[in-house]
Amino acid sequence: MRPFTYTNANNKEQALKGANQNSHYLGGGTNLIDLMKEDVERPDQLININNLDYKKITVNKNGGLTLGAMLSNSETANHLDIRKNYPLLSMAMLSAATAQIRNMATNGGNLLQRTRCPYFFEISMPCNKREPGSGCGAKNGMNALHAIFGYSESCIAVNPSDMCVALAAIGASVEVEKTDGSSRIIEFSDFHRLPGDHPENDTNLMQGELITAIHLSKPIFSDHYYYLKIRERSSYAFALLSVAAGLQLNGGIITEVGLAMGSVAHKPWKLNKAEAYLSGKKPSQANFEEAAELEMIDAKPFKDNKYKVEMGKKAIVRALTQAYERKA
Amino acid sequence: MKTLKKSGTGAAIDRVEGHLKVMGIAKYASEFPVQNKVYAQGINSTIAKGEIISVDTSEAEKLPGVLKVITFKNAEKLKTFEKEMTPISTTTIAPVLQSNKVHYYGEYIGLVVAETFEQAQYAARLVKFKYKEDPNPVINFDKSRSEAYKPNEKSDYALGDIKAGLSDADEIVEVTYNTPIEHHHPMELHAVIASWENGKVMAYASQQIVEDATIAISDTFQIPKKDVRVIAAFVGGGFGSKLNVERHVILAVMAAKMIGKPVQMTVTRPQMFTNTGLRQHNEQKMRVGAKKDGTLTALSHETLSHTSSTLEYQESCGMVTKMLYKVPNNLVTHRLIPMNIQAPFAMRAPGEATGSFALECAMDEMAWKLKMDPIDFRIKNDTQIDLSTNKPFSSRLLVECLRIGAEKFGWKERKIQPRTHKNGNWLIGYGVSGASRQSPYLKTNAKVILELDGDEVNATIQMDATDIGTGSYTIIAQTASEYLRIPVEQINVELGDSNFPATPGSGGSWGAASFCNGARAACEKAIKTLKANQNIKQDEEVSVADLLKKNKLKRFEAEGSAEPSEAFRNHSVFSFGANFCEVWVDKDTGMYRIKRMVNVGAAGKILNPKTAYSQIIGGLTMGVGMAMAEQTRVEPNFGNFITRSFADYHVPVNLDMANIDVVFLPEEDKIANKMGIKGIGELGITSVAASIANAIFNATGKRMRDLPITPEKLIEAKVEPGITV
Ligand SMILES: Cc1cc2nc3c(=O)[nH]c(=O)nc-3n(C[C@H](O)[C@H](O)[C@H](O)COP(=O)(O)OP(=O)(O)OC[C@H]3O[C@@H](n4cnc5c(N)ncnc54)[C@H](O)[C@@H]3O)c2cc1C
Ligand code: SF4
Repeated sequence: MRPFTYTNANNKEQALKGANQNSHYLGGGTNLIDLMKEDVERPDQLININNLDYKKITVNKNGGLTLGAMLSNSETANHLDIRKNYPLLSMAMLSAATAQIRNMATNGGNLLQRTRCPYFFEISMPCNKREPGSGCGAKNGMNALHAIFGYSESCIAVNPSDMCVALAAIGASVEVEKTDGSSRIIEFSDFHRLPGDHPENDTNLMQGELITAIHLSKPIFSDHYYYLKIRERSSYAFALLSVAAGLQLNGGIITEVGLAMGSVAHKPWKLNKAEAYLSGKKPSQANFEEAAELEMIDAKPFKDNKYKVEMGKKAIVRALTQAYERKA
Repeated sequence: MKTLKKSGTGAAIDRVEGHLKVMGIAKYASEFPVQNKVYAQGINSTIAKGEIISVDTSEAEKLPGVLKVITFKNAEKLKTFEKEMTPISTTTIAPVLQSNKVHYYGEYIGLVVAETFEQAQYAARLVKFKYKEDPNPVINFDKSRSEAYKPNEKSDYALGDIKAGLSDADEIVEVTYNTPIEHHHPMELHAVIASWENGKVMAYASQQIVEDATIAISDTFQIPKKDVRVIAAFVGGGFGSKLNVERHVILAVMAAKMIGKPVQMTVTRPQMFTNTGLRQHNEQKMRVGAKKDGTLTALSHETLSHTSSTLEYQESCGMVTKMLYKVPNNLVTHRLIPMNIQAPFAMRAPGEATGSFALECAMDEMAWKLKMDPIDFRIKNDTQIDLSTNKPFSSRLLVECLRIGAEKFGWKERKIQPRTHKNGNWLIGYGVSGASRQSPYLKTNAKVILELDGDEVNATIQMDATDIGTGSYTIIAQTASEYLRIPVEQINVELGDSNFPATPGSGGSWGAASFCNGARAACEKAIKTLKANQNIKQDEEVSVADLLKKNKLKRFEAEGSAEPSEAFRNHSVFSFGANFCEVWVDKDTGMYRIKRMVNVGAAGKILNPKTAYSQIIGGLTMGVGMAMAEQTRVEPNFGNFITRSFADYHVPVNLDMANIDVVFLPEEDKIANKMGIKGIGELGITSVAASIANAIFNATGKRMRDLPITPEKLIEAKVEPGITV
């Protein structure tokens, strides 16, 4: 590891003041420290923000809940209010990593975890995300774990977070403190970005900005929800592909639907077409299949990830079916 | 006198060294408190083939704490390979930094030694290498087939006439199986603390065979073997990767010599992929011919693997096909492609683990074609003679393992037609496989020291055997307890020091039989001598305490040695087993769960049911990993491994494991050795993957011939012809 300075921030002012062009906030460190050991991230300063008081779950003005950025993934996912009102989020979060990692990982850190693209992790390989202009090793290399939607010439990586897939399905916003002392709210759908010509930027967060909270909209999909995560082992594995599905039903008709797919794009992939198709329809196998077809027709896989197209269809149908049957 | 507890062999006692591990007293290689030690960090190449044209160490050398940067430019001269391609063994030299040539991605090209581990790690990042890259490294297995060669005469084997056997058959199965590159990944990282004083080397090193380590080190440095001492008191797993001396050991010794201080070097987890061996990719083409009634007429097993560009290792995948079944026409071949990939070396059950996957799946495919029960098919082709050597098996309970396992498992509930046993979204399948694993037995020496303490005798057994987590300490203590007839609590076992009497170390499932018979021989020798000295009849029962008293001795030492008998050499000695499993496959997502496994083994005398059980559980788990998850992928353009941590090299987690039922059939094989012991350590992994693949076929109708069987492959696979979805 390269040498760096380390400071403890006891409040947000200290944190923001300490930030510079090459500093990083330290959450649980489960992603950042790994990347530093690999020499991928090379901050000259770490600002420990674990003492900041963003560790609560409170009711917000939309009637939803606000999750403190420094609360651990475990505490969030196991919180009774989350389990009751946003079980889809809880389910997705509990499918991630291992209990030990979830105990360390923070909500803010999870939003910013970086891709698992193997070229990104190995500094001697070309990677536009790590080193802009060096090329994308994955595009003509090994791309079984890569995107089928929304990629660009410069990068075909996927966002690996489970939590974020659920957040995309249920809707949320991210509260951020700027270095000038003001704050702003970023809609969750605008938080992560597609790679375009700047794959080095995973999100629209600016250097030095501090995430303080995730705001959830009003409780939703508390009866009909399912997070389907397809992976190579039963725990401690990133998703090959995942689907977060939530349904609100009224009189046998779908009144609201939240659908997002993970590990298929540079950001959690909202399934807009499928959502639009299902809205106002009956929750039937045929409708689920049609919705899945509509969505996956846009998929453009690479040499090694063709399986994701069929897997994606099956996963959409299965997640919707499980969500529907959960409490019919 | 204390009552003699049941503590001889066969007793399920706790591990005698268990408390040392739990309390952190047991010392692994990097934990010895060697005074003044400094730390080394290896630097790895970032090209697959080429030459280093310049090295810039200036930045690294400027850092505080850095003591030395070693590259090919200033390295000590070592013995190098004489041949272009050297067959690798447990005593092979390990020259390193001897030229500017790069043979594979990740090869050591430099070493930084510093006061602290952190300084060494950081400085290693700052050494700059410039390369002249060879534009055509051999890194693509598929595209390099034409480079394949036959390593030696023993690589091929033929019995009868394979063509005739196939044309004689009513049904033929001709299929190819692939097993990927796998890595051993013992929990304990490879590590060494080496010192060089007055021309003498002392190395605390995580090695499975300390005797062979002293040979490799002395040969590499061209110094007398007696000047090298290796200590491996506790080893946190090896799985074959610690059988030989890898280059970090040589690097640490070299650095110790160059700077005059003890040097510690720990291989990092990413380096465990590139610098401590691997199991290579095997492509195994199987041909099976059989008559309608299930009689085998032909078996052929052709393996294509790769080795490094300088070191040769051939995993004998076809070994199992030579001996497991009765078949008049048999062909086994092995070919190797030299590649710019690290040299492979033995990994748990080399040959059998991978070979049995191909053979036992092919047998299942044939049984399906013949509409025969796969167990009946195997039993029909059982043999009590090893046709490849014409020697009878010392004991062989394969049929019993299959029958008893079938009963335990409830095999008769199996639905023959795939995709007919369902539960909701799950397709349920049962699978079976037969297993065999060679049971070697090698010459072993041991010393016993008897010390009289009042009316009690305390005994110490010394041998350079190792305990790689298997329980050697415990079973050796149990053996001594049995042959000295004193409680196990009064026995102290000291292992893993090359100054102790030589043994073959741990590996190849020979440890238990060799170590225990060695210890037995030493104990017998002691008692025999003590009796003879006092003219006591050898068959007269006298306690060791009384023998010492009669000899007026407070302390007595004896050395004994055990080795294979004529009878052993005249027989084929194998352990046998059978695996059964029930698998639930999700019909849509390709994810699956192994619900339960039954493993029946006939592996000679069970020295300690607890440690034996642990061996099988570990083997089964590794077999599940092999079937479900483990694979190292080679990047097709650069030749590096893209899997480089436990986040992407998947081994099973607890949730992946099943309910496991382990049964040992009572067996004492006195032909194998005097104590009737056979090997267990590798039997457990053998053919596990086949039973899982066969169960997946029974569940889904899909033949999964390329390991690991992952959801993405299952989704893309088609059902076999004639099976309806
Ligand atoms: C082996 C392994 C397996 C995993 N498996 C999964 C999985 O299956 N699914 C999954 O979703 N995740 C998985 N993870 C990833 C894990 O969820 C993330 O590492 C974790 O959520 C990151 O949170 P953290 O608090 O540790 O972040 P850190 O590592 O501390 O930080 C990550 C980044 O966020 C920045 N940061 C942190 N907090 C803030 C803040 N408040 N404001 C601004 N910037 C901030 C840091 O500067 C850093 O750049 C796995 C991780 C590992 C190591
Ligand atoms: S996909 Fe993106 S992260 Fe991966 S190598 Fe290409 S640019 Fe880098």
